[in-house]
Amino acid sequence: MLVDLSHFLSVLSTTLFLLTSTLVLVLDCEKKHSSILIKRAFSHAFILLFFSFAIYVYLAATDDFSVVYISQHSNSMLPIFYKVTSIWSAHEGSMFLWILFLSAWGFVFNLNKDSNLKIKNFAIGIVSIIIVGFQLFLLITSNPFETNLPFSPINGADINPVLQDPALAIHPPFLYMGYVGFVIPFAYGLAFLLNGNAGINWEKVVRSWSVSAWIFLTIGICLGSWWAYYELGWGGYWFWDPVENVALMPWLAATAFVHSLSVASKSKSLRIWTLLLSIIVFSLSLFGAFIVRSGIIDSIHSFANDPQRGMYLLIFIGIILFSSLWLFTSRFDLLTSKTKIKSFSKESFISLNNIFFGVLIFATMMGITYPLIYELAYDQKISVGAPFYNAIYAPVAVLASIILIISIESKWGRSFKKIQKFNQLNLSLALSLVAAISLYFYANNGSAIIYMSAFVGFLLLIRYLILLVFNTFQKKHINIPSMLAHMGLGMLILSVSANSIFSSERVFNMYPNDIKTYRNISISFNDLQLINNSNHDSIRAVFKVVDSNGKSSLLYPEKRKYFVRGQITSETAIKVTPLKDIYITIGDQLDNKSWVVNVQLNYFIRYVWLSAIMMALSGLIIVISSYRSKP
Amino acid sequence: MKQHRKKRLINILLISLLSGSGVLMVLYALNTNLDYFYTPSEIISEKLPSNKRIKVGGMVREGSVTRNGEDISFVITDYEESISVQYKGIVPDLFKEGSGVVALGYMENNSLKAEKVLAKHDENYMPPALNK
Repeated sequence: MLVDLSHFLSVLSTTLFLLTSTLVLVLDCEKKHSSILIKRAFSHAFILLFFSFAIYVYLAATDDFSVVYISQHSNSMLPIFYKVTSIWSAHEGSMFLWILFLSAWGFVFNLNKDSNLKIKNFAIGIVSIIIVGFQLFLLITSNPFETNLPFSPINGADINPVLQDPALAIHPPFLYMGYVGFVIPFAYGLAFLLNGNAGINWEKVVRSWSVSAWIFLTIGICLGSWWAYYELGWGGYWFWDPVENVALMPWLAATAFVHSLSVASKSKSLRIWTLLLSIIVFSLSLFGAFIVRSGIIDSIHSFANDPQRGMYLLIFIGIILFSSLWLFTSRFDLLTSKTKIKSFSKESFISLNNIFFGVLIFATMMGITYPLIYELAYDQKISVGAPFYNAIYAPVAVLASIILIISIESKWGRSFKKIQKFNQLNLSLALSLVAAISLYFYANNGSAIIYMSAFVGFLLLIRYLILLVFNTFQKKHINIPSMLAHMGLGMLILSVSANSIFSSERVFNMYPNDIKTYRNISISFNDLQLINNSNHDSIRAVFKVVDSNGKSSLLYPEKRKYFVRGQITSETAIKVTPLKDIYITIGDQLDNKSWVVNVQLNYFIRYVWLSAIMMALSGLIIVISSYRSKP
Repeated sequence: MKQHRKKRLINILLISLLSGSGVLMVLYALNTNLDYFYTPSEIISEKLPSNKRIKVGGMVREGSVTRNGEDISFVITDYEESISVQYKGIVPDLFKEGSGVVALGYMENNSLKAEKVLAKHDENYMPPALNK
């Protein structure tokens, strides 16, 4: 039986990972031959796990419904792509993938040469023991290899239709790669503390690892946002759902972390804080896994409830967190540096913005946990929604961006130079102010904080554009990744503000052949079609949409009924134009044969995702250039 | 030396002030932006201020859904008390009579004017309050 082989390989690899960490413990890690032994043990453990997963993929692709998990989440009628992606559509399989990625990061790190054998081997030991902990969790509480022989079903129960989507198929892998990638800085930071030689620049070693994980996390979150927009039919890009928030927290912490890493490796200040951040980032990633998999929070994303799993994860994550914090508190004085941060230097501004990142993480954490605490204390269910997060995120983003703008002028290790002959900052301020005020007079709705956000959005974009133009002319150095990422931030803030100013929606009651006009856009309901597909039937409405500039296009929103689960889903139809999306969903048919039709105009929404792509691209440039500069 | 300590003190004060005001801001925003979750029985028995945004969870009563153009009204029940709900717009695909629903909005003349209607993305979903 192939599934037994897969199961066996998985168990075997767990023992090998355990052996690796034991080797690290008993061998003299400074010796070359012990280092080779550790390296081999870890590599072989990973290869075994990889083959275990590969066999599992094969089983899913070939419809082996004797495996309980596959029979519950796949179906022979599915396209092969979704047969494979169904593996990570629920708890057991996605945990399997999560662990595979965790060990894959370790594997690549393990292959890399490192000048300090001792620290590297310690780090490998720490990664191994974490893998063992999660492997035991998988095998004991959520075994994906369980079989239902001899009574295996003829066909599977199918994957949830809303998950049969290309963006959602690749969203979890990216997200998981991001989460678990932070195991490298985490393990390396702890290994550095264990080793106890403050002279080693561990921050420099982990920088490109951390940025790589950050790129995956950024893209993973962006894909999730994009999917939710077109699939759920609510027309938004972010819902402040607890499970979105547990992805956002490690992202914020990781963003603060990669900034602090450059401060720490360049100026030897902020070193204690940076090490603490490496622990915080990884802990927040694990916290995400706990929230999603314990069923403690009620969310559309959460997997089925199982107290045993929650308990195991809570204890294991608790052990990781407390032992790493204990090590940190007993050794951090090692990093006390003589160099003090100068006021108005680049590092002083980054430190300041670290506080803002902290406030956002704290707020998000409170938003997730406060309802739980409140219910325990007062026996009253509450929830925290968008108004809370908007009240925190908007002002903090404005303040942090202003600090960022000021810091562009600043230098590493020394205070501001006095104002230059031609002040680029004043020019950017003036232009952004004009832009924000014209925006206000053009749109004439929305609150003050939205226009303040729009102003700093403009400011960031314009400031960097001016910098780009002047520095190109004067042949001065431009920090391309920094510029790209921060323009991405400006774009994000601006598009989020403009989206909330201009977007609107309206619900119509339409008969076929009706024509309605909404904000100078004419919408005609031309036809209804019945379509039969391999695993679902659908009713497809045909709408002709004529934009205010006279351009017309056809849109096809659908109602689908999937055979296996009998589930009904709606498919939105979207016309993308440079400034806005015309977004149509159909609701139910009423008794009088008319249809409920929802029309949304979502402005600048594409730029929200574009800004995430800009940030990811900036990270990519950093990783590639650091790889090239290596001897 | 004195100068150096003074500067350090200022730095610590500045950091605590910033973090402290951040924490206060978060707590204040939490208290003013909570959505309280009620079952229909709790709404009937407690007097609620109409300016408070609330969530009502329960089951959609059989035969209670009426539509008029884009307007829809229905009754949420916990099998003891019921609350009628008015909503304008498209209800989720999984919204149907006899299944679980959560509506978010303001109370007005003993009925809920909903801004949002949610049905869980799971066929077997029961609102947690009913599951006790």
